[in-house]
Amino acid sequence: MTTPAIIASDLRKKYGTLMALDGVSFTVGKGSIFGLLGPNGAGKTTTIRIMTGLTVANSGSVSILGHDIKNDTIEAKKKIGVVPEISNIYEEMSAEQNLVFSAELYGVPSSERKKRANELLADFGLADRSYDLVAGFSRGMKRRLVIACGMVHNPEILFLDEPTTGLDVQSTLALREQIRKLNKEGTTILLTTHYLEEADQLCDTIAMINKGKIVALDKPENLKASVTGSNVIELSFSELVSETELDSIKGVIEVHCVGDKVRLVVGDEKDIIGEISDFARGKKLNITTIHTLKPSLEDAFLKITGLNPEEAVKDKEQLKPRRNDG
Amino acid sequence: MKLVEKLSKSFYIARKDMRVYYFKAPNFTYGLLMPVALYLAFSVSGTLSPATLISGLVSLVILFGTMSIEAVSVVLEKQTGTFERLLAAPVSLIGLVLGKALAGFAIGPLTAVAVLIPVSLLSGTSVQNPLAVFIAICVSSFTFASMGILVSCFARWTPEAQMYSNFFRFPMAFLSGTFIPVESMPQFLQIFSKVLPLTYSIDAMREGLNNSFITGSYLFDLGILLLFSAVFMFASTKVLERQLS
Repeated sequence: MTTPAIIASDLRKKYGTLMALDGVSFTVGKGSIFGLLGPNGAGKTTTIRIMTGLTVANSGSVSILGHDIKNDTIEAKKKIGVVPEISNIYEEMSAEQNLVFSAELYGVPSSERKKRANELLADFGLADRSYDLVAGFSRGMKRRLVIACGMVHNPEILFLDEPTTGLDVQSTLALREQIRKLNKEGTTILLTTHYLEEADQLCDTIAMINKGKIVALDKPENLKASVTGSNVIELSFSELVSETELDSIKGVIEVHCVGDKVRLVVGDEKDIIGEISDFARGKKLNITTIHTLKPSLEDAFLKITGLNPEEAVKDKEQLKPRRNDG
Repeated sequence: MKLVEKLSKSFYIARKDMRVYYFKAPNFTYGLLMPVALYLAFSVSGTLSPATLISGLVSLVILFGTMSIEAVSVVLEKQTGTFERLLAAPVSLIGLVLGKALAGFAIGPLTAVAVLIPVSLLSGTSVQNPLAVFIAICVSSFTFASMGILVSCFARWTPEAQMYSNFFRFPMAFLSGTFIPVESMPQFLQIFSKVLPLTYSIDAMREGLNNSFITGSYLFDLGILLLFSAVFMFASTKVLERQLS
């Protein structure tokens, strides 16, 4: 582990009778990209709010580059940039005015504010709309501006809460590239996302949080490796075969039909391919496609959190009213 | 953080608030029209001296002009999510509250002077101590802006803020000697008027209009108004602090 940028120690937060965080602890290395994953209501946003000084924990502490967020709030906040999930820009102001205002709040020298604002507007493809009121922007443009506002003071640590939500594919890819670039330049990034593929691509370390507790904390490859006890073989036959028949193959633990393909969850059987071949020969079937599937972060997520796939894909957007629906 | 740095951040918040909330025609018209309408309704009786009516009218204009926006400025930001942007920034809570109040403080004198000059000329009233009146206008603006912020911190949505705001403004308008001299009110109402900041605003304004020199009463009024401001600011900070936890 490199020098810690963030140390969260035993964070506890209660809302009424609900224990939102129950002893959350982790360390984020300087210069890393740290992902916080979890189902809706798991405690991700509460954790971020506590770490950015927007909420006070009932107990526990957060150190931001050596500054305690509760007792040395201003110094800690100077080191961080915050990009919330919900748009927080002034629609009555232009894109440039919004950026300059953020620069003012974070103490960027007056001679650099406009220059920095224009750099970011160019980076985020908003240069031609610099002087337009934000009220006329599309949702994607507003999202890009929110992110730019969080970066205006070149923070050492950037908190990104669901950064690519609401963005089109092109903007999403551009933003991921921007995140990598920032990280290469030395910015520590903590992000929450419900796009597991995004976390897999970007993060050095991932913490999975469920019911207010950290349930897994490791590198993405190690998390994926944790589900290799069972392997998945995806195949299709020349004719449809029932699940019951497939279940009879020696070594098959589970059978899932996905369209015209079947997924067989198998154990560590060394001769499983031979067993499947024997089954096909016996039924006078041809195997038209066959390949093994490597466990994904999603598999690890489902296994670790104990969620079923339907719960996991519930979109957060459907649960929350949004302001920036332009 | 250095004091200059702290104050500059409050100034940026105030400037942003003026840009976003204040320089809008409906805000100006409400802040001016409501007190002017009240003034006209009560001045027709002709029982009050021009100095009494002018001091009441100017104070009312400040009260309505600053509070109508201040009372919703925090609530609006909470509703639109922008308040979190301010809370996430390296700005102390007192600096944030000060910035919000400064916006109202800047608008108050503009509307007050815009009313004071024509009304004084029309009524033939000479302002004995313009500087004292101007200082009273500025201090009153800050007091009412701070009061508006406190209301806004408590409220959860805009109609609630407006309700709280009117709950304070209208009784104050009638119990602070704006249209009826405090001395002619029943004893219990006179005591009540002593805890209303508008009473001291009107009194300070009247002192400046009537006397060419600074009186002890004038200084006392300003002191009380500043005390009210400090209490409102402190209470607003505490309310926000409680909401964060």
